[in-house]
Amino acid sequence: MKLFDNPIFITQKRLVHRGGVLAAALIAGLVGASLLSGLIAYLADPMNFNSFRSSQEAGKMFYGWTIGVEILVLVIGGFSRISRVLGEERKAGLWDSNRLTPLKPCQLVTGYWLGAPLREFYMAAILAAIGLVIVLLGRLPITLWLGSQVLIFSTALFFGLLGVLVGMTFQRPQGGVIFLVAFIFFQFPSFAMPKYMLTNFLLPTYGIANLFRDSGDSGNDYSLQEWRGMPEIFGVPIPPILLSIALQAFVGFFLWRAAVRKTANPFQPPLFRWETVALFGVLLIVQNGLIWGIWRGQFPTAANGGNFFDGQSLLPTVHGGTLLLATVVLAFVSPQPESVRVKALRSGIKDFAAIFPESSVLLALVLTGVAAMVLLSQFAFSFGSSWEIYLVVIGNLLDFVLIYSLLLEFCRLRFRRRALGFVALWLFILCILPFILGGVFSTGAIAKLSLLAPGVIALGDPTNENMNNLLGIVVGHFGIAVVLFIGWQRKWKELLARAV
Amino acid sequence: MSNPLLAIERLRVDFPDVVAVNDLTLTVGAGEVCGLIGPNGAGKTTTMRAISGLQECTRGSVKVNGHELASEPDELKRQLGFMPDFCPTYDQLTASEFLDHFARAYDVPNRTKRIEECLELTWLTEKTNALCEELSRGMKQRLVLAKTLLPDPKVMLLDEPASGLDPLGRIELRKILLQLREAGKAVLISSHILTELSGFCNTAAIMERGRLVTFGTIAELGQKMGRRQMSVKWRADDGKALEILKAANLKNLADTNLGATFDFDGDTNVLDELLKTLVLQGVRISEWRGTGDDLEQIFLQSGAKELM
Repeated sequence: MKLFDNPIFITQKRLVHRGGVLAAALIAGLVGASLLSGLIAYLADPMNFNSFRSSQEAGKMFYGWTIGVEILVLVIGGFSRISRVLGEERKAGLWDSNRLTPLKPCQLVTGYWLGAPLREFYMAAILAAIGLVIVLLGRLPITLWLGSQVLIFSTALFFGLLGVLVGMTFQRPQGGVIFLVAFIFFQFPSFAMPKYMLTNFLLPTYGIANLFRDSGDSGNDYSLQEWRGMPEIFGVPIPPILLSIALQAFVGFFLWRAAVRKTANPFQPPLFRWETVALFGVLLIVQNGLIWGIWRGQFPTAANGGNFFDGQSLLPTVHGGTLLLATVVLAFVSPQPESVRVKALRSGIKDFAAIFPESSVLLALVLTGVAAMVLLSQFAFSFGSSWEIYLVVIGNLLDFVLIYSLLLEFCRLRFRRRALGFVALWLFILCILPFILGGVFSTGAIAKLSLLAPGVIALGDPTNENMNNLLGIVVGHFGIAVVLFIGWQRKWKELLARAV
Repeated sequence: MSNPLLAIERLRVDFPDVVAVNDLTLTVGAGEVCGLIGPNGAGKTTTMRAISGLQECTRGSVKVNGHELASEPDELKRQLGFMPDFCPTYDQLTASEFLDHFARAYDVPNRTKRIEECLELTWLTEKTNALCEELSRGMKQRLVLAKTLLPDPKVMLLDEPASGLDPLGRIELRKILLQLREAGKAVLISSHILTELSGFCNTAAIMERGRLVTFGTIAELGQKMGRRQMSVKWRADDGKALEILKAANLKNLADTNLGATFDFDGDTNVLDELLKTLVLQGVRISEWRGTGDDLEQIFLQSGAKELM
């Protein structure tokens, strides 16, 4: 079925048009025209504008604002629109009505993905057209327009898929916006080390900034110095646009599969286990590939961090990102106890054989193994001298993912709907509270007890820190995991006992 | 039944703290309207959602026209129409656009004509170009019914279809259901208002707490329930009629003015004989009525009344 024959798309188009597109189009046109007129005013009388040294510099500034608005409208607006529309239709029962038709799940997903944000697409198209005029008038290379537009639209499609998934998962339409704010919030730290952080490519900040940097007269854009040149993955330079598109396509592929699977059957988890491992593994490989050039497998002895950032903060940040990524994927895969009970009822298996294949604990161990192998790339040629650091980091990762997955399932079993609150409480106690207490009592010893601390400290200050001390803390954390395991096992057994 | 259009076998649906549907087996054949009866919380809606695939089943099998839900869900969707107990509509679409959406989704041939037919069938022709948000609840209910009828499904699941309808709407719904019955559709219709179902259901399934209490044709169920309450009225009271009735040793015989009520659980031939005796003795009978063969009576006698 073609897109224009897709009933979901047609209906979304009707709804968008009935809601009115003229005002939105006029707003986009007015914003674009204002920026364009600014450039025309400069070109007509450059002496009146002290801020620009050339038409190219002026063109970049006005085009920068244009695509800024375009990103706001298309990426952020489109994402919220899709997640809100889906959330509302789910609540109204229309989602179920559509699912009962013979439409294929992929047709349903496509209809919402491309149909719901049509108004935002129209606005973006107007801004893109005005942007082209600005680029031409500013005598900027057409590649700047082409590259930035490709990146903006690919990001919009990527976030659109994320919006579909969020709309299908969150109970309230506002959930999508909270998700987006959290996503952007975690993006900020990576601006400090542009070429080395994966998030700058997944969101194409590096690609767009790099296009501006390499587009003719650099003018006064000294702040973009760190955004020049090609990123390298294990020493191989890759064009940033290509890397962004490849990353978005790769992650988008799994998002698409998850959305289609959830549409076909909302009772199954969005990701298969192999998909989770593949997603986690590839993202870690790319991230470690991006920073490989700094130590070239000789962490921490042969730092070659370049001029623009403190190399020591890089690997701890990557470690933190790894923990965050593991948290997200485990949350996606962690089973709802009720679905495990129903499976046990179906299969008749009521012992631990029914739990382990379903639980995320086993997956947590696999993810740790994957992370251990990938991280080895930073230690490959210095393992003899730095194995203790490596051990602390992997031990810390293992503790974190085990405690997190056990805690998540334990709280779901024990507290049901209130589970997330209790998970957040315990993570706060284990991860954040030691830092607060360390600050209050002005002692680093308490802060080191945080579940996040050992790996970060081992990677951040590898020469001054006593690794045995950190290893002791890692073992202590493992003790918490063992206690949790006992409680977790008991709760599962109680649940399975009810599977009659 | 040789080849039922809807066959449910040992269906079970689990919720965290309750077995919502437990070991449910029932069939609905062509030209049958089966009333799914039960108090609120009996599992009627869950059963319908499970049949349509919206609710995950723990075990059991659902077949629609021979197509198994678990293995052939796409084929099953084409043969099944489900009307939920609320009316999901696109408020900003017109009635015809709303139907057009689903006609396209079901790939209905001669779309425009079929939409007109369904609007006419549900008395919404006048509202063809009205926005859904402008329709009353009853009209929305009829529009959703029209949507359900669009692909001409063989099996229809109607969950509380009359709940938002005015008395006239209920009468018209009754007509539609009788038409569907005539057209050979299998209809499973749920309600907890039994008067809604009386008159056009030829079978009934009574549910309580997720379990099927009883299932069969209305006549079978009437017999199965055994005791029925009889009501008799006569024109002039000379005491003769009551004496005859007393002599027949009837249970719970009560004298009502110019009439009597009693419970009866014996052979219906005995009742016929009793009526004959009354007439032959010159009693001018004005009413002779059994109240045990309507759905309300069956339901009350089924033992499923505790939750009402």
